[in-house]
Amino acid sequence: MKKRTWLLIAALLAALLLAACSASTPQPATTGSAEEATASTADTGSATARIGWAGSPDTLNPGAAVLSEAYTIFDLVYDSMYQLQLDGTYTLELAESADVSEDGKVWTFTLRDGFVFSDGEPLTASDVVFSYNFYKAQTDFPFLNVYTEYFESVEAPDDKTVVLTLSQAIPNLDSQLIFLFILPEHIWADQTENAAEFENLAMVGSGPFKLADYAQNQFVSLEANKDHPLYPPKVDGVVFQTFDNQDALVQALRTGQVDMITEMPKPAVATLRNEANIAVVSGPPGSPSVADIIFNLTNDGTCPEDGVCSGHPALQDRTVRQALAHATDKQQIIDVVLLGFGTPGLTLIPDSLGVWYNDTIQDFEYDLDLANQMLDDAGYADTDGDGVREMPGGGDPLTLRVNWPSDSTWSSRAAEIMSGTWAQAGVQTQLQALDADALTSVCCPTFDYDVILWGWGSDPDPAFLLSVMTTDQIPTGTSESGYSNPEFDQLYKEQAVAMDPDERKAIIWQMQEIAHEDVPYIIPFYDQNVQAYRTDRFQGWITDADKIELSDMTSLTIIEPVQ
Amino acid sequence: MRASYLLGKLAWALFTILFVICLNFFLFRVLPGDPVRSGVRDPRLTQEAQQAIRERFGLDKPVINCFESLNPVKSGPCLINPFETQFFLYVRNLLTGDLGISYHTNRPVSTMLGERLWNTILLIGAGQILAIILGMGLGILAAWKARTPIDFGALLFSLLAWSLPTFWLGIILLFAGSRYFNLPLGGMITPGVNFPGAWARVSDMLRHMLLPTLTYTIVFLGEYMLIMRSTLVDVLSEDYILTARAKGLNHFQILKDHALKNAMLPMVTIIALNLGFTVAGAVQIETVFSWPGLGGAIFEAVGRRDYPMLQGAFLLLAVSVIFANLGAELLYSVLDPRIRAE
Repeated sequence: MKKRTWLLIAALLAALLLAACSASTPQPATTGSAEEATASTADTGSATARIGWAGSPDTLNPGAAVLSEAYTIFDLVYDSMYQLQLDGTYTLELAESADVSEDGKVWTFTLRDGFVFSDGEPLTASDVVFSYNFYKAQTDFPFLNVYTEYFESVEAPDDKTVVLTLSQAIPNLDSQLIFLFILPEHIWADQTENAAEFENLAMVGSGPFKLADYAQNQFVSLEANKDHPLYPPKVDGVVFQTFDNQDALVQALRTGQVDMITEMPKPAVATLRNEANIAVVSGPPGSPSVADIIFNLTNDGTCPEDGVCSGHPALQDRTVRQALAHATDKQQIIDVVLLGFGTPGLTLIPDSLGVWYNDTIQDFEYDLDLANQMLDDAGYADTDGDGVREMPGGGDPLTLRVNWPSDSTWSSRAAEIMSGTWAQAGVQTQLQALDADALTSVCCPTFDYDVILWGWGSDPDPAFLLSVMTTDQIPTGTSESGYSNPEFDQLYKEQAVAMDPDERKAIIWQMQEIAHEDVPYIIPFYDQNVQAYRTDRFQGWITDADKIELSDMTSLTIIEPVQ
Repeated sequence: MRASYLLGKLAWALFTILFVICLNFFLFRVLPGDPVRSGVRDPRLTQEAQQAIRERFGLDKPVINCFESLNPVKSGPCLINPFETQFFLYVRNLLTGDLGISYHTNRPVSTMLGERLWNTILLIGAGQILAIILGMGLGILAAWKARTPIDFGALLFSLLAWSLPTFWLGIILLFAGSRYFNLPLGGMITPGVNFPGAWARVSDMLRHMLLPTLTYTIVFLGEYMLIMRSTLVDVLSEDYILTARAKGLNHFQILKDHALKNAMLPMVTIIALNLGFTVAGAVQIETVFSWPGLGGAIFEAVGRRDYPMLQGAFLLLAVSVIFANLGAELLYSVLDPRIRAE
């Protein structure tokens, strides 16, 4: 009995040692791998791009997914009517033409030939009709259901034609259709009950790649669909590997275990820049995001039912908010928190929204003297000499509660910097990080706070982030500031029906000017994507577009192995 | 061993598990926040969609009725049928083996726990076995050679190993291993590879296991070594050991037949405790090496307010600790006749 145990242990030890010494493990390697370390591994001759990232999809079911990693995979495996390009424009993908009726309500799409699902069934107009109706029927799909809001009916008069009738003409149908991935009817028709719980592990799609292997929280392995009519990939496959440890992620690129990384800790950038055969690129991210400093603007008139609305009275005064904007050193926050990888922000509409971003706005420059002057002029004097201003007439001191989500990577440092410069303008702050749920419960629609540091992720279309600042969204909790401006609300309604792109752009630019002037938010920065790839493995990555997103479908379908 | 003794122990274990089931359920629901809104922080999530998602997970029902004073547990009025409360449904599903659906992935919790449990047992199990063997061996050696340079060296090594921060040692080994031995930087297996055979697959997995197992072993062997050594040093100073020596028994016989058996009791306790917690995985090691184990899953579920996943994981953890302790107690009575007699 005892002997057997020891034998087992010895065998285990031997196995471990053997494994450590064995160098014969196959790894996907292209021809001409420069790293000596990987050169010893067997060359399988396949050109598979290995991508390291810190996340992983939450589910392979497009209807139920929430995380952006999942959408990255969906974009590669499925096709949709339009494709969003890295310069912010939309191009037709499934359809070769789109015709719209006079009144803007009836859209007729003619599908391209040659789209075939990975199980061999051809993609026809009835799959499109099924998918759109399916998304509309599934009210518990957190995101995709919303895009079908204006769909009245979808029909397929023949295999190649889809007629989509809207309940009202909207200017941004293309942006509504990019995430409505076309699912194979022959598979999903049986999944309409409890659709959100369907794991979709086979993931049959018609896109440029098809699923080869998947292990949750570990990797997604995709194989190229070289017969894709529009974007046939030049590589044989793409593997996304999850690293919980970002230092290991960077090291994996340095040792050549991965060919590209989609993110990295900012301090690693300097190290990677000095590394041979590695290129670091940065720019506005593919999926727009914005960091914000929110003021509680609710008052008796705008406070929602059940709201606490305990915001500091001084925040009602636009001059105070403008002075605080002048007292916020955005560049220091960017330099310290982001190590320079960010651009100073203007409004909730970030620079990654392309043409919709109004870059002509003159920002409140960092000027403490001016901030102090503005507050002095408005009557906020420090009457008791404790260094903190009081309300005009010697009321409450200007002491603001400042909160942020405790899991935020940037907020606590930014809050410290902000607190320091605001203090020099005579505004005191009480800093406290809150658990994200606790923060939601004080935020909105409760409005039991003064200042919150938070952020948004967004659609490529600006309507969503603009809606955050409308009066209608105060009781729903979507508006975090309680900002209410009838002129802004009116313009929001106008842009929603402005069919002419230039006209719509003019309205949206005007809305940004209003929002900037009223300062419901101070936008400290727009974060940048920092990504890196090995120059000795694959070439052709799109690095000169308006946005940097190396894992975007447009990049992954044109890269090819370095000869 | 008397049957009543065994039954008593079993009953106590079952009672503890029932208590844990209740505690687990309410603990997470006292926390502020709404799992639907914290999962999807997006305003486009309409009220209808929120309601549909709540219904999907049964969150539209009151947590429990008649305990309005217990709010923030979100209790409903007494008028509501108690069989319609979340608590009742949770217990009923549990009895049928249904742990619910994860809010985050929409997959059955039992499936997710199953995948993760296997990964954890593989890694932590190997690490524990190695740590126990090496730690005990080193402890025996040090005790036998007490107050010699060998003892001193072993003691120093164990104290050092025990006090090393796990994540630090992990990172150092990870960087050295990847740089000099081309060992993988994370995961369980190289993705996107068609392995020529089962052995290639196993050997690839072992390469991934090597560094995390080594880290775990180094960090945990110190504890075993120190306890083994101090107990054995005590035992070796007993009179009967002197008698054994006087009888002319050789060193090996004294250790094997007289000293070790008596020194095993504290070891059994600590091994049982550690084995129970094995299931919880090792968050730090799993994170450093991107190992998809239970520790990381629990950590992620906390951040996402994934109640079903948390409940399932904590239940699993509680059950394994309770049974490991039960096993240890029963083993005592085998090892130590004095306990049997009581």
